[in-house]
Parts: sequence; C-alpha cells; structure tokens
Amino acid sequence: MEISKRRDSDGIHLTVTGELSIYSVHDLKQELLGALQEAPEVEVHLGGVTELDTAGLQVLYLAKREAVAHGGTLRLVEHSDATREVLDLLHLSPYFGDPVLIPGVAEEAAR
Amino acid sequence: MNLDPALQTFFAESADLLDRMEEALLRLEEEAGNAELVNDVFRAAHTIKGTAGIFGFDEIVHFTHQLESLLDRIRDGEVAVTAERVALLLACGDHVRAIIEPVANGAGLSPELRTVGEALYARLGVELGRGEARETVTPAAVPVAGAMPAASVAGEAVAMAEHWHLSLRFGPEVLRNGMDPLAFLRYLTTLGDILHVEVVADALPEPARMDPEACYFGYEVAFRSTAAKAEIENVFEFVRDDLQLRMVPPGSKISEYVKLIQELPGEPMQIGEMLVRCGALTAQELAQGLARQADVDAEQQAAPEQHVRPIGEILVKQGAVESTVVSAALEKQQTVRDTKAQEGRFIRVEAEKIDQLINLVGELVIAGAGTQLLAMQAHDAAITESAANLLRLVESVRNTALGLRMVPIGATFQRFQRVVRDVSRELGKDIELVINGADTELDKSVVEKIGDPLMHLVRNAMDHGIEKPEVRVANGKPARAQVMLDAYHDSGSIVIEVSDDGAGLNRERILARAMERGLVAEAHALSEKEIYNLIFAAGFSTAEAVSNLSGRGVGMDVVRRNIEALRGTVELKSEPGNGTLVRIRLPLTLAIIDGFLIGVGAARYVIPVDMVVECVELTAENARSARSRGYTDLRGTALPCVWLRDVLDIGGARARRENIVVVQFGEGKAGLVVDDLLGESQTVIKPLGHLFGHLEGISGSTILGSGEVALIVDVVALIKRIMARTELEQMRYAPPPALSQPTLN
Amino acid sequence: MKNIAKIDSEMELDEASGREQEQYLTFRLGEETFAMGILSVKEILEYRGVTTVPMMPECVRGVINLRGRVVPVIDLSLRFGRDTTLPGRRTCIVIAEIDGEGGAQDVGVIVDAVNQVIEIPRGDIEPAPSFGAKLRGDFLAGMGKLDGQFVAILNIGNVLSVDEISALAGAGGLATRLPAGEVAASPGT
Repeated sequence: MEISKRRDSDGIHLTVTGELSIYSVHDLKQELLGALQEAPEVEVHLGGVTELDTAGLQVLYLAKREAVAHGGTLRLVEHSDATREVLDLLHLSPYFGDPVLIPGVAEEAAR
Repeated sequence: MNLDPALQTFFAESADLLDRMEEALLRLEEEAGNAELVNDVFRAAHTIKGTAGIFGFDEIVHFTHQLESLLDRIRDGEVAVTAERVALLLACGDHVRAIIEPVANGAGLSPELRTVGEALYARLGVELGRGEARETVTPAAVPVAGAMPAASVAGEAVAMAEHWHLSLRFGPEVLRNGMDPLAFLRYLTTLGDILHVEVVADALPEPARMDPEACYFGYEVAFRSTAAKAEIENVFEFVRDDLQLRMVPPGSKISEYVKLIQELPGEPMQIGEMLVRCGALTAQELAQGLARQADVDAEQQAAPEQHVRPIGEILVKQGAVESTVVSAALEKQQTVRDTKAQEGRFIRVEAEKIDQLINLVGELVIAGAGTQLLAMQAHDAAITESAANLLRLVESVRNTALGLRMVPIGATFQRFQRVVRDVSRELGKDIELVINGADTELDKSVVEKIGDPLMHLVRNAMDHGIEKPEVRVANGKPARAQVMLDAYHDSGSIVIEVSDDGAGLNRERILARAMERGLVAEAHALSEKEIYNLIFAAGFSTAEAVSNLSGRGVGMDVVRRNIEALRGTVELKSEPGNGTLVRIRLPLTLAIIDGFLIGVGAARYVIPVDMVVECVELTAENARSARSRGYTDLRGTALPCVWLRDVLDIGGARARRENIVVVQFGEGKAGLVVDDLLGESQTVIKPLGHLFGHLEGISGSTILGSGEVALIVDVVALIKRIMARTELEQMRYAPPPALSQPTLN
Repeated sequence: MKNIAKIDSEMELDEASGREQEQYLTFRLGEETFAMGILSVKEILEYRGVTTVPMMPECVRGVINLRGRVVPVIDLSLRFGRDTTLPGRRTCIVIAEIDGEGGAQDVGVIVDAVNQVIEIPRGDIEPAPSFGAKLRGDFLAGMGKLDGQFVAILNIGNVLSVDEISALAGAGGLATRLPAGEVAASPGT
C-alpha cells in the first residue's frame, strides 16, 4: 500500500493505492487520523485500491466516525472495483454517504 | 493474506472428509437405503466446497458444487442409489482428492486432471438431468421459507420474516489468524441472497485504543436462502472458533428475535432497530416482542437453563417445524457438533516435536543407564537405589512419550475397503473385507510403512487365494468370500493378520516350484509350515502363473523384506480349501529396541534381542572344526557360523574363549561367533546418517552407558551379504557349503 | 572430553558484514599446513576414541558420540591418499558441517594439530594450480598467502563429500575390502 498526500484549498487529498489490508492498516490509520487533525476536510482517493479487507474497512470506518464526531468531513472518492464491492456487500455506502460512481458501459468496455 | 496454516488445516481436513466420504459410499453400496450415509457423503462434499469457497479455489467449488447437487438429489430421494452412481461418486471423490493440492498451490490442473474433471462433471450433469423431470413435481424438501408454517404456533406470535436472520460476532483475533470475515459473507452469497447487512461497529473503540489488526466489526445479516440450516452454518465452519454465530430461521417466533436481542452484547433497542432494518421484524413486532420481555424474563428465572438453549433445541421443543428435512438438518448439526467436541479432546502436534521429545527421552535413558552403571561401581547402596528409582521413572516417561506417537491402525485398514471393492469387481469375485482390531495402536512411522506390504497381501489374497463365486458354491462355501484384516497386541509387539477363506495354498506346487528354482534341494525334511513359507523366499515368485498362488509374481519376498526392515517377522499358515493366513509381527516402536550387547576384542556390538534364540559356548575342541567347516554341531543339527571378528574386520587376536549367539535367520538359524556376551539392555537407536547409507549389515548405532558408540548389527542383511559373497566364491571354486541353503530345522 | 573451542556466533556475524570466508582455520597434517573456511567449522574436539564402522572406505575412521548424536569421523590424511593419522598429544577432531543430498550433516575430521584462525584477504588468494598439486584439483579452493608462504585452502565440501564417500562404501571400495571370513569352505581353509 502506498499513500500520497496533497493539500489544496479544499483540504487534504490522500491517494491510496495497492492492498488496503491487515498488512498496511497501521500506516493507514496513522495517515488518515493525522490528516484529520491537520485539516477538517479530507478526501480519500480509492481508485488505486486493489484489495480491501475488514481491517482496512474498519480503519476507514473509524476515520469517518472521527471526522463526523469532530465536525469535519471525510469523503471517499473514486472507488475502485475492489472497494465498491466491499461497500456493496456490507451495504455501507449510506454510512460513508459518498456518491459511488458506477462505471458506465462505455467505461466498462474500455477496460 | 498469509493463509498458510489455515491452508494446511484445509488439506488435512479435506483428506479426512474424503476418507469419510469414501467410507460412507462404500457402506452405501451395501445399505442403499441408509439416509445417514448419504448425509455423511453430502456433508463431506459440502464442507469441502465451503472451505474451498472461502479460499477462493473456484475450480474445487465448481466441481464439488455439481457433486453436491447430485448428492442433494439423492438425499431427497429423487435419485436412487445404484452401484453405478456410487462408482461415479467414488470417482468424483478421487478427483477432488487429486485436485485439491494443485489448485491450492496455485499450480493449476494438469491437462489430464482437467479432462477427468470435465468428464466427471458431465456425467454428474447427466445424472442430475435424470432427476430434473421429477423435481418440478416433488417440492424441494429443504426448508423453503414459503413452506414453513406461517401460522402462529402455540398461541405465540410468529414474525412475518421469510428469511434467515444471522448474527455474526467475530473474535478479535480473527484477522490476525488469517481470516477475513468478508470472505465468509461473500461465500454466503453462493447459498442465497444477502438482503441486508447491518455493520455492528459498537465495539470499535476510540482511535487511540483501536488496534487496527483486531476485528471489531460484527454483522447482522438478513439472508434469503433455501439452504438448510447446517449448510448455512457450514459456511462459517472454518472460523467457528473465532465466531459467535446466532441464526434465526425464517418464520421464527418473535420471542426468538427478542431472545437474540437479549443475548447480543450492546444496547437492546439499537440491535432491535437493526433487526427492523434487516427486515427480520417489523417495528410493530419489535414493540410487541419487547413488551413481552417481562414475561420472558420471568420464564427464564423459573428455568434459567433455558437462557442458553441452542436454537436447534428450541425448535425441536416447540415442534414449530415439522419438516423432516429440518430435523435432518438438526441431526446434521448435532453431528457437526459431536465431531467438534471430539476434535476438542485432541491437540494437533507437529510430528517433529514428538520426535524431538522422544529423542530427548532416549538421551535420558542413556544418561540414566550411565548413572546406574556408576552407582553400581561405587558400591553405595543408597546411590544405587536412587539411580534405580530414577531409571524406573525414566522408563515410564519413555513409555508415555512413545505412546504419543501411537495411532490406531484403523485408518490404514479402512483404506482397503476401497481396494477390495475395486479389485473384486475387476476379478469378478464377490469379496467382503472384514476388519477387526481397528483400535489397535502402533507407532506412526510403522503405520506409514506397513501400508504397502499389506496392500500386497490383500491383493494377493484376492487374486490368488479366493476362488470365483461359482467354484466356491460348488465347494459348498458361501459365494461371498471374506478377506480379513485383524490387529492386536501380543507381548510387546503388534500382530497384524491378513487372512482369507479361499482355497488355501497348494503345497505340492510350491514345493515343485521351489525345487525347480533351486531354493530347496530335497523335499524330504520340510514341514508344512516351512513349505508354505518358501513363497517368501527371494526368487520364488515369477511372472508365470502357478495355479492359485503366484500369478502376478508380486514378490512375497518384497513383502518380507519390507517387514523385516521394520524389524518385524512374517509367517504364513494355510489350510487347503479353508484359506490362508499371513501373520505379521511388528515391534511397537522403531525408536528403541531391546539389544543384546556383545564384545569382540574391544569392539562392542548390539544384536536385537528378538533375533537371538540362545547363546552357547564354542568350546575349544569344537572351534577348530567349526572354523574349517563353517558350521558347528548344535544338538545334532548343523548350525552355520559366522565369525564377527572376521566379517566385521575387527582384527586383533582370537579370544581364547568364544561364544556363539544363535540367531533366527528366516526359518533357519545361524551362529554369530563373538568373544564376550555382555547382556541385554534397552537400546535407543541412533541413525548413522547419510554417509553410511550404503552400509549393509549395520542398521544403526546406539550410545552405551559409558558414552561409547556401539553399532547395531542387522543380522539378516549381514548374513545375506555373506551368503551372496559365498555364492560368488562357490562359482569360482567349490561345491556348495552349508550356508548357501536355507537351513531348515 | 574437553572441548577445545566452540565456534560461536560472533564469528558468524562476519558473514553479514561481507567478510565471509576471509577467515580460515589452519591446521597441520603431517608436515603440511592447510586451511579451511571458518564458517563450516562448528567446533574442535580433543581426539578421542572412535568406534570403527566396518565395511566402510578406509578414510572413514568411524563414529563418535557428540553430545548424544553419532557423528562420522574422517581421517583427512587417508582421504588424501596418505598414511593413517596416528593420534598424538595435539591430534584433534574438527567438526565441520557439510551439505549433502541428505541435508546438512556434521562430519568430524582428524587432523594432527589445529593452529589458529587467520584472516586471508581475497586478494591474497590465488586460484589453485590446475596441475602439479599433490591433491585432487577439486579438493582445493585456492592457495592463500600466509607470512610469505602458500597455504592450501581446502574446498571442504568436496573433501568431505558425504555423497562421494557413501558411494565409495556402496560400490567398488567395498568389494576389494571384503573381510576374509572363514564361513565358506574356500580352498584355503
């Protein structure tokens, strides 16, 4: 897993790529919570996430809960197939409240 | 994720399940109507499919799914159990066994396996097709939600929900154990539809205290499926130790849900709301249920044990569900539990750890013997006694440690059911295998090595011992023949018998054969027993058929060699017309033997006690003639003699006094001439290692109480070597000396 | 039984720092000094009684009890086709770990005396001469310079090749060494 961080006027953008699994959750937790302390608005780009397991999901869930509790926002954007599958399976999209873009037919065909 | 240990468990469990499946299938041939056996087979296939699904081994899931579908039909009585179907199912079991490893290792399937798999899959499809026509008429007997009694039972309100409600709470370690709860949920979708999931995140602590590798999430799942309870439960089989699973079947009473709410940790109202969101209860039903809570509490106080009653029991008690299949499902669940309980009594330990322990105990025995020796030399009664006490304890520790390696022989025997079945068909004979003493325990390493010789003997009995059914009937015997496997303990060894009720051995043919092959010179002085045992002689069997005996020439000498390599013996009894019995006697363990210590000059050698018949002195007047003739007179018979000093190249001057250790050599005897007889002792065998791999005549070494290393003589191999060499010399020079023929006395 | 030296892990640490095989144990065999890489040396024992194993090639002197394990002992001098090593005051058994088909095995080597552990930088090692050496070419790993003198560095894996020696026992080596038993009525007796 790799996380890159970018800051702009909207807040902090974290781009996560690779496996978001038990092997990387310590780093993920640190980065996410760290970002929330730095800025009230954090956007997590998940387009490059190839795997999401329970451990990874729990950290995302925790970060979201923290953000809400402290009046901030945490948005998950650009869901990859792997992340979308998990959120669908667990009916968790409403919790995160982010619009999940379902790839159109054209996009699917282009893959 | 690193699933390695889990994968190992999967291998081991699958192998077990396939064994059980095979066993059940074989019994099913006899008892076609036994529903429990069908269930066993189904359960095995299903569990393998389930675990394979969790690991994402699609090829296994794909195949076992088809297999399971047919089994399901059979279970429901839509497809009959026939010999052909059993054969097909057996073949399928074999195929699953063959594909598990390549699939799990990611190696993929070889083209051969793929072809076999596709063929079997297609045949399963054909069988499934046959049942199809009727399926539309017969309602599926699994508890379909709609088929459940929707009316209220015993005046109690029943919820409207027509789906299962599953409550999953995983243990905190589940992730670290290499499992991902998500995988189980994904797998659940193969059995039906997940209508709704509520993630229960109450347990997720504040960030500082949250361990990202621990599992905090629980799930409330609304699940629509026609699968039986045990099937759903089996999805979680692999994580059972790390999961609290509560299941409420479709159409359960509201009180069941209330009970669930009470049992679950967390705020009742919150969980209640989750249930409502899952569609398990309507808001109204929830309110109704919670209102009844006081009554329920009162009930529970009256009968506190009911608080923890398993759902299955409640279902039975209530008589709420009359479907026979549900009771079957419950029964199944019970079996699963029983197995679980049984597993709980065992600990899986790496074989290596036990070996290590046994090695250490072996050291202890040596050290103890050393101490005792010193104590005796010190002539101090107190120390001697204390050393003796110590040695007694060490001995019992040793026995206990060796006991850890003991496994029942039953599993090995059981494998022959299949062999007997297949071979008897092949041969057009009707043979049943009768197993006795399956609980008899013996050393695991012995068990591993005894399989091949047994296979030989069983096949031989079937091939050559047992007559065709028509011949049997003509001889007034039942058409169905028996091959018996028997095991029991007898004075420190284990005895395994392979017997049949066939025609027995043909004494004359054997004798003729043996003479023809030059194995015996004259037929005269041979006892019945000696004649029969000739079939174990090297070079007896050939590819040529000798009446009902050799045929295949599978080499009974190989059997004998294998058994002797295990320090065992084999003998054969036969009664014409009534059958043949082969009796194998094996030591209980390979790690320790009773050794007889001898000395030649300064060298010390150990001869296994069970090889020693007696010890006699070689008197000076006999020694001379014995040396020149190569044998001595032992109470009227010629005993061929071997001078260990020469054979083992020990060197040094000949001792004034020599002794003969008379050893059993096959059916005959031989004398090992040594200097000193130093007595019996327990001997821990130390392998000599690869460097001595080609060494014949020495089977290992041991460490004496003094710390010195002594070599263990492999009597049989040593004498065989000498015989081979003698034969070489014969070819060059002389007429046959005594030892080149088996001495039979 | 005195344990003269036990090679501890401190020396093995050198491996990590890339200095592996720069340290050598030198020992004497007859009048000649040889060296072997320190990493294969596990310990050095004072010479002790060896239990002879019959029917083995001559260079296999037998086995000893090494803390409960049975370890074969090779006479290096015999292995080199020289005379039997007669135990003297300074005779030692060097326990070396050798890789073979059957996995790593400890093998003891009888030498006349153990000298010291020295460091020979790679630059000071020349390839073994392809001919003219008194030893089999594959027994030598190179020639190291020590105090202006050449010392033969042994390829101990080849010298103590478990596979080769055990094959010797199984094949020709045995046939010629068959004990002259008197079991058979051979013409001589």
